[in-house]
Amino acid sequence: MFSKVLVANRGEIAVRINQTLRAMGIAPVAVFSDADAGALHVATAEQSVALPGNTAEETYLSIDKVVQAARDCGVDAIHPGYGFLSENPAFARACREAQITFIGPTPESMEALGDKLHSKDIAIAAGVPVVPSSPECVPGDAEAEEFVRRWGFPLMVKAAAGGGGRGMRLVNGRRELDADMEAASREARAAFGDGRVFLERYVSNPRHVEIQVLADGNGHTIHLGERECSIQRRHQKIIEETPSPALTPDLRRRMGDAAVAVAVAREAGYVNAGTVEFLLDSRTNEFYFLEMNARLQVEHPITEAVLGLDMVEWQVRIAAGEPLTLRQEDIQPRGHAVECRIYAEDPYHDFVPSTGPLLRWRPPSGPGLRLDSGVHQGQEVSIYYDPMLAKLIAWAPDRESSLRRMDVALSQFLVLGVITNIPLLRSIMGHAQFQRGEYDTGFLEWNPAVTMPMVTDEARDLSRALAAWASSRPVGPVSPTATTDALPSATPWQTAGARRLP
Amino acid sequence: MTQSQGQMRETHPAEREVFRYRAEDEDGLFAFSLEGDGATGLDAATTLSIETRQAGEGLCRTEAGRTHHFAWAWVGAELHLWLDGSLWVFQRAETRRRGAGTTTDAPGDILAPMPGAVLEVLVAEGDRVERNQTVVLMESMKMELVITAPRDGVVRRVSVEPGQQVDRGMRLLELGSEGDSENGS
Repeated sequence: MFSKVLVANRGEIAVRINQTLRAMGIAPVAVFSDADAGALHVATAEQSVALPGNTAEETYLSIDKVVQAARDCGVDAIHPGYGFLSENPAFARACREAQITFIGPTPESMEALGDKLHSKDIAIAAGVPVVPSSPECVPGDAEAEEFVRRWGFPLMVKAAAGGGGRGMRLVNGRRELDADMEAASREARAAFGDGRVFLERYVSNPRHVEIQVLADGNGHTIHLGERECSIQRRHQKIIEETPSPALTPDLRRRMGDAAVAVAVAREAGYVNAGTVEFLLDSRTNEFYFLEMNARLQVEHPITEAVLGLDMVEWQVRIAAGEPLTLRQEDIQPRGHAVECRIYAEDPYHDFVPSTGPLLRWRPPSGPGLRLDSGVHQGQEVSIYYDPMLAKLIAWAPDRESSLRRMDVALSQFLVLGVITNIPLLRSIMGHAQFQRGEYDTGFLEWNPAVTMPMVTDEARDLSRALAAWASSRPVGPVSPTATTDALPSATPWQTAGARRLP
Repeated sequence: MTQSQGQMRETHPAEREVFRYRAEDEDGLFAFSLEGDGATGLDAATTLSIETRQAGEGLCRTEAGRTHHFAWAWVGAELHLWLDGSLWVFQRAETRRRGAGTTTDAPGDILAPMPGAVLEVLVAEGDRVERNQTVVLMESMKMELVITAPRDGVVRRVSVEPGQQVDRGMRLLELGSEGDSENGS
């Protein structure tokens, strides 16, 4: 087993990986940008290395700097988390060249699967249905024209290298097509360094259901059930749950088999944890392969909650060459889990990201709750990275109880300083359609009232009275460290960065 | 006993009209009444019993005996109030004047809706633009943001350049009306 592992990430996922590494007796090493010198993922690591700069390109996306840091610290392996370099084959290859184990699939399978167009061919060859799409194309070329002629509008423009909702646009008509293709291409180039795009038939209001797979180096591959991820804004998930209210046991088995078929395809040659995403037409129960994500997924904790296992631990053990000792029949989910992503954004003003000092941050706790957070009170929420602050997960023996637990927990989540999407998440938890499990990816679009403030006159009057009361007080705790539950901010070592003594 | 009066306005969750109030504070009892246009006509006058548990956080009890948990903090000129799980943002009405420098809210200004970086300015001074035409591309938190003209007009001034970091509310462009002269309107 490894003794030291570098976590090439930041935020909640780096904190969460550090946690498992420590529990396994492995020393976690953090890397950090200038803006993150005092961040929680640095504080929870045993050792840390500064990556000078602030933008993702200068820091967490810099293969050279990250590999150099790993070399300098003498780590055995690198865990890439999700996002950043996690699905970058060049990074996995650089790790291999530096003789550092990459905790994830091989660069070859990342290459095969990371390209959305190529991964579709793999699925087709494995006998799994896919959504029709064009080859790679640019505005106005023959491929684009042919596709538009055949399928018409609306259609999706997608980045071949895309992920996380970036480089993706819904196009309603010809007038917007070229501009949307260019915008998606620019966004993809900025996010992934690869601006290739293609067109895909738009499946209206599907459900987004994904299957977690786990494969060891000896060819043993199983799936860990599904995650329902249909509640999205801007093509990004905000609420996930498992089991999916839409799956029958038969459908679950067929989708699980399809996911395993993609993973074991010779060209995919998948090892470690991965996720196969499907679109599901809940009226016909037909499903289509969308893509395979060759990494740990943001929403993996709900799978952990119903199976009682630690996915990161399995990733590390598999990467260290241990066999996967779980058999498919061992995978028996228990109860129901739901996850809410807490974003620093204003749900009532087009989800505009909110930045500022996190003056108060007091998450809820209680039976069946888990918080994966990358922030601490007093820190600045900056413009440089993704606005997701934390993930709140609620587990209970049944769906209704887990949704109730989530709603109560959200109502106790105290955040001041930035605007969050918590009220939106609560509105969804309380929505009758959501509670009945009857929803698809169009949920927010079909329920615009959910993205409008739900405020009673009584609450508004009370808020005004308290605002008047508070504004008559001497200005309160400007410094967040004045409150009792603050973590200490950056240590002198962190703020001093990589400076050397003379 | 402390008496106070003032004007405030809610900016989140919704932009609302200014409200005027009068209040008296004595021994933890806070008597509050809304005045004039701001009154909702509901329970516009109320007395709350307020207990502060720690700096910036408290419990309040209404006359009907209901308890509410709240916390507050000032973020610049904004008062952030967390109440029973919801966030409210208020400004003192008198503090709502034009900020320093390029931060304005003159009707012809196109402002940055969030902090970020300017990627591209697609128009030049003197250009005629149509409503909904893309004028500036911004990037914030890894998302590309398309800034469009709110109405037809002529670009009177471009206040930013590509690569520049901007704060929320900072002016990107100044938009004039067709036929406006520099010293006109």
